[in-house]
Order: sequence, then structure tokens, then C-alpha cells
Amino acid sequence: MKPLTGMVLCSRYAYSGIMKDEEIIQVVKKHYSKVATNGTGCCDSCGCDAGPEDIGRMIGYSDEELANVPEANLGLGCGNPLALGNIMEGDTVLDLGSGAGFDCFLAARKVGRSGKVIGVDMTDGMLELARKNAEKHGFGNVEFRKGYIHQLPVDDNSIDVIISNCVINLAPDKLAVYRDAYRVLKKNGRMYVSDIVLLAELSEEQKSDPDLVAGCVGGALLMDDYLAIVKKAGFRVEILHEDRDISKIQYDGLPLMSLKLGAYKLPAPKVAGVTS
Amino acid sequence: MHLNTVSHGMPDNMKHQMLDNICCPVCKEALSLKAEKENDVEILAGFLTCKKCKFDYLIQEGIPNLLPPELQKTM
Repeated sequence: MKPLTGMVLCSRYAYSGIMKDEEIIQVVKKHYSKVATNGTGCCDSCGCDAGPEDIGRMIGYSDEELANVPEANLGLGCGNPLALGNIMEGDTVLDLGSGAGFDCFLAARKVGRSGKVIGVDMTDGMLELARKNAEKHGFGNVEFRKGYIHQLPVDDNSIDVIISNCVINLAPDKLAVYRDAYRVLKKNGRMYVSDIVLLAELSEEQKSDPDLVAGCVGGALLMDDYLAIVKKAGFRVEILHEDRDISKIQYDGLPLMSLKLGAYKLPAPKVAGVTS
Repeated sequence: MHLNTVSHGMPDNMKHQMLDNICCPVCKEALSLKAEKENDVEILAGFLTCKKCKFDYLIQEGIPNLLPPELQKTM
């Protein structure tokens, strides 16, 4: 999920000091509850005129995809995780931070009646929107659960594909998120993520600015640190795309980019002479 | 836990199959369902009880609240 241009300039939360994990969660929750109500990621005074459809097109959704459930597109992504890899008919797909359900509904088309899609989100307003959208458009193979993406209410080894769009940067403990993702994926399961990573370190003030935290910047990690975490969780990682222009278009030129990666849960390679 | 079947639907019994891969967010134990309100396609209200820690996770308006118990009051 991402801020729109000008968000940096209009801090609405008085805050100073380093944020604790629970404070970060509350800041994110408060922000996205407001977005769910207002139907836009933009702050009241930013003056930007790009709508969710324009943003969707810029970050890689086709016109056909944007027309699927248009009201579920709040313009909060930083890429199109569904375009990164194959989602097959019959797959069970899990969306981390499902918002109003836009990516879930696209995945639902791909998995068909024999598959299913689970969206996990912690914000009531988003879950209500997602459920209304599912009902309106008759998606019987999608369900939504209120939960944390670092403490998933999902069984071990039960998911074929995990997708996540610009959400993991918001989580205080990204290693916990990737470890839990690894846990729920089946053997040979795959994960397609679009997320914001930093190209240069932020100041302590920036990292603790609630608007930057909620806007996918304050909690973002340097790319190397981010990739190290994904690997530490057990995944084999493949960088699929880097979008550096997104900084100029949507993030006031801050030193960041949108990273698209594939993370694969593969069996441990057999090492000669070692038995386990 | 939305299980609407209007056009991309599934058989009615699928709503119970949807629980197949749900678990307690804390101990990861299986949950047992006590449905209090349901229609042909969806469980609208009820509880999912953890078989190990015995916590009742509430289902309201078709969405189960599976935040960890200690955080449910503040969330």
C-alpha cells in the first residue's frame, strides 16, 4: 500500500521518538481504516489527481484486470503480484494484506471453482469492503479472515501460492511475516510479492514519522536487508522486476523503489555424506 | 469466510470445507466451528474454538476475528 504525492508534506499525527511494534500496527490500522472509509489512499490536502485506475495502470494492471472488480481497487499497490507468476486452476491462494480484495478477486478468476482464495487483513473497514465486494460480484471461492500477517490463522503446508502487494513493509517484524509465509506454504509453494524497499537509509525522524510509516516508506528496509530476511526465512529468492520510477511518480523522489520478487519453498538440497 | 455462490459458486457443503486450513493464530491448533447464524452459502455468526487453548474466536458478519486473543480487546 502506498502514499500518494504530497503525503510526506501533511503529517497528521503528532509523534516523536522511535515507534514500538504495537504503535506501528496502530498507526497503520488507523490510516487504512480511514482509507477504507474514504475510498482513497490520498490524504485530504495533497492535491494529487491520479485516481486508483490511473495508478493501477501505472503499476502493471491490464485494463481487463482493472475492470474485474473496479470498486475493490483503492490504488494502494506498488505492482501487480498476479502478473509475476503462474496461478493455476485449483490452487489455494493466500493474499497477505488483502485490503478491499482487488488482488483476491483477480486470483479467484484464475483458480476457478476448484481452487480458493483467502485474504488476511487486520483492518475492519477493509474486511467489510472486501466482503461486500465478494458478495456483490458473487465470488464463492474467496474468503476473508481478520488476522495478522505475522501470525497467520492458516495451517502449515496448506497454501500453493502467496501474493502480497505493498503490505509487508508495513509490518514491524518482516522476518516473522516471511517465516509464517514459509510455514503455511506447501512444499514447492511459491510467493509473489510487490513491496517497497529503500535505496538509501532514512533518518530516524523519517522512520518514526507516522505518515511515512503508514505510507509504505518509514518501515521499508534497504533492499539487501530485505532480501537477507526472505532468505533467512528459508526461501530461495528471485528478483523479478525493479521499478525505480515509482519514486518520482508517487513518493516525492524519496530513495526507494518497488521490488517484485518470487520466493520459493523448495526442499532442502541433499548434501553428499550428510544424513538427516 | 465469505461463501457466496452466485456465479462463481461452490456446493453448499463447501462452507465447511472452507474451514479446512484455518487454525489458531497462536498455537496453530485446529479450530472447531459452532455456527449460530448461517444461510445456504455462508456462516454469518458463531465461534471458532481452539481445540488446544480453548479460546473462542468470534465470527461476525461472515468474518472470523483471528487476531491473537490478547490483542482482540485493543484492536
